[in-house]
Amino acid sequence: MDTNESRTATTNAKAKRRALRLLTLMGAAALALSACGANPAGSAASQVQDGTPVQGGTFVFAEVTPINNFQTQAARFYEKANVLNSVLDRLTYFDAKKGELVPWIASKFTASEDQTKFTFTIRPGVTFSDGTPLDAKAVQANFEALGKGIEGAKIQPNVDFSTYQSSRVIGEDQVEVTLSSPDANFLRATSSVTAGLVSPKTLTLDNAGQSAIAKISGSGPFTFESEKADEEIVLAKRSDYAWAPEGAANQGAAYLDKVVVKYLPEVAHRAGAVQTGQVDLVRGLQPADETALAGSGNQVLPAKGIDLTANMAAVRIGSGKLADAKVRQALQLGIDRPTLKDTVLSDSYELAGSVLNREAPDFTDFSADLAYNPEKSKSLLEEAGWAVGSDGIRAKDGQKLEVTVTSSNNSVVIKPAFELIEQQWRKIGVKLVNRAADNAFLATAMKDPNVEFFGTRQFAYGGLGPVFGPVTNTQTLNADQQLNELFATERAAASPAAHKQLVAEEQRALVVDQALALVLWDEVQVYGANAKAHVDFTSGTAPVFQGAWKTGK
Amino acid sequence: MGPYFARRLGQALLVIWLAYTLVFLAVQLLPSDPVTIFLSADAAADQATIDAMKAQYGYDQPLLVQYFSQLGQLLGGDVGYSLASGQSVATRIGAVAGSTLALASSAFVLAVVLAVALVASATLSRSAALKRFITNLPPLFAAVPVFWLGLVLLQLLSIQLGVMSLFPDGSFASLAVPVLVLALHVSAPIAQVLLKSITHVYEQPFVDVLRAKGASPAWIFYRHALKNAAGPAMTIAGITVGTLLAGSVITETVFARSGLGSVVLQAVTGQDVPLVQGLVLLTASAFVAVNLIVDLLYPLLDPRILKSSAHGSPKALAA
Repeated sequence: MDTNESRTATTNAKAKRRALRLLTLMGAAALALSACGANPAGSAASQVQDGTPVQGGTFVFAEVTPINNFQTQAARFYEKANVLNSVLDRLTYFDAKKGELVPWIASKFTASEDQTKFTFTIRPGVTFSDGTPLDAKAVQANFEALGKGIEGAKIQPNVDFSTYQSSRVIGEDQVEVTLSSPDANFLRATSSVTAGLVSPKTLTLDNAGQSAIAKISGSGPFTFESEKADEEIVLAKRSDYAWAPEGAANQGAAYLDKVVVKYLPEVAHRAGAVQTGQVDLVRGLQPADETALAGSGNQVLPAKGIDLTANMAAVRIGSGKLADAKVRQALQLGIDRPTLKDTVLSDSYELAGSVLNREAPDFTDFSADLAYNPEKSKSLLEEAGWAVGSDGIRAKDGQKLEVTVTSSNNSVVIKPAFELIEQQWRKIGVKLVNRAADNAFLATAMKDPNVEFFGTRQFAYGGLGPVFGPVTNTQTLNADQQLNELFATERAAASPAAHKQLVAEEQRALVVDQALALVLWDEVQVYGANAKAHVDFTSGTAPVFQGAWKTGK
Repeated sequence: MGPYFARRLGQALLVIWLAYTLVFLAVQLLPSDPVTIFLSADAAADQATIDAMKAQYGYDQPLLVQYFSQLGQLLGGDVGYSLASGQSVATRIGAVAGSTLALASSAFVLAVVLAVALVASATLSRSAALKRFITNLPPLFAAVPVFWLGLVLLQLLSIQLGVMSLFPDGSFASLAVPVLVLALHVSAPIAQVLLKSITHVYEQPFVDVLRAKGASPAWIFYRHALKNAAGPAMTIAGITVGTLLAGSVITETVFARSGLGSVVLQAVTGQDVPLVQGLVLLTASAFVAVNLIVDLLYPLLDPRILKSSAHGSPKALAA
């Protein structure tokens, strides 16, 4: 072979390699362009919904952000509750299908007529994962911690148990709780993950110990196996578990062998994580990803937040601009909710009919009162004395009708929702300054009555008193004496019928008459799951892994 | 060497103390105390709870008492208590610092290698076009946002091609890709400064002398030019520690890695002021430590520094 030939061969090889490289790049680009494309293996027909659970398997669940504090009473965030729900049992369980509280660790529970004394009969044979029996004594110790906090461990009392006074063990298996004042919401609060029962040994640990998932011992269907800080938590099933809530489809040990909780802070990857099968379930799916995920044979699972209030803009009247109820009513009617659902939300979101979720026991439907009516809005604002200025924004006594909204960044849709409302209100002459999802601003704005709106949703166990009542109200910061008395009366309601009646009155006042809560959509957490996953959720939106299974492992 | 070392060390400690004091004052300037801020992050909190927690963490004490007791604890190695995790700040940071250290140090080493490789190939290349192309790479690396590159690579490699996991799984790719993403960004300023000072060195007469003696271009570059040009690049490399840490925050979030980045994010969004305080202190200390090392390496490159250090060196200004 002469040198010339050799050189040509080399050049050819180089050219080929270059072409190949180019092709690879083009192929990759094409693939990237067809992002969220079809997944031929997972057509809708392959979703097995025959209802026969499969034993075994490891279930991978991707949470939104890592957390490291699992102290039970502080489990007011989804990230905590979603893990603790598999590890801790509660005295009672809220059955969303029946819409009522059912027995769990308490096989029986009764309330005195005046709602100050409650008796719980503890189910026999339940043990914590550290071997300690879950008996009346252990429950009493838990109540003490919930009601009074644990000073030595820097643990504060649970806000849902603020009326707790004392408890004692009566007979062999009963605990009697005495409250300092009547509280119709007390029983419902015992179903919350924040009231999860832990082993008496766990209660003796310091704050760091009680916050570490590795050291928390409960009686739940799963126990801690291992963790990598901020990356994953592995839970293993407890094979002797036999005390699921009354009515649960699976009364025994979990079907799954293991549950792996991973963290996926990047919202852009959540749908892809499910589509590629890297996770079985993911929380915090964006509305924009729902169609593609469902279209590729995977599942979009909206978990209704029955335990929570609807998402709302809670009104504060401190700045004076919204002091007149007519102005607040005008803003309530100036929100075009169906358009909000069509543009910002998705079919997974249900528009609010009241401040309570539609499935909540005492829900009253005010949908008709919430219909979009910009003309009425305008006339209400005129009546209140706010006239349109040259810039289209209304003014009165030299003050512009410019209002501000604050919210945490915990919801993926809250900021765009207020962006749309900003446009809608502009049409009736109101300017909205959108500071939603700005956590730094939230810290101070939340307690500032001059910031007109607080975008929020809160756990509301039973009634609205604890959320909106004068003692703990950080939502509306209202000074309406009559309304505040109503909250106090509701809390002390003696019978379920009276309680229902009072909660209905509260809803009417908050949504229609006083318009202190501009309600938007029922709280929902949208999960994405692959076709193989079978999972249900609690009324607090937590996945119930005890009853979950995977088709074909 | 002795007085130079002592002065540099003293300056470093002074900077850390000032950083601590500034952070303490900044916390006092917040519209509210750390406990109230923390408890108001989402759920409702009542005044009794806030007061009890303030007393437990000592935020109800007078300002000076808080300052000196915190400073005293700090000297004893106690950086306080994270409000969100219930752990001590040191434990919280210690649990994940290793992961960030692995990411940041690998990215740093790769960034330096990349920078030297780029500059070497630009300098030694005989093709003017290639030289131009390579010279334009560092500005491109600096311009590409870390999160964007990370997202694109993950979308391609993990979701489209399925060759790597979205989660850190201990595989080579799950460390190499984030390291590369971070290193490209960090290499940019180092390469730019090195290129500039190499160009400067090549204008020096001694290079002509070497050429006249018949030294090969590679010999001139690696044996002489690089060493002479290394000073400014080292200073920049020291300063990139800041970029490295900021880049880690983003890289760790995109690649779902544990580490200081995710702790910073959680501390800030969760309004955990004591943890933020600890992290700022750690960052300041890391920054100061790396720059101290650079300062101490300087005399090895250029012994004249020791002679002139009595008048203060320009390096001190850069730090």
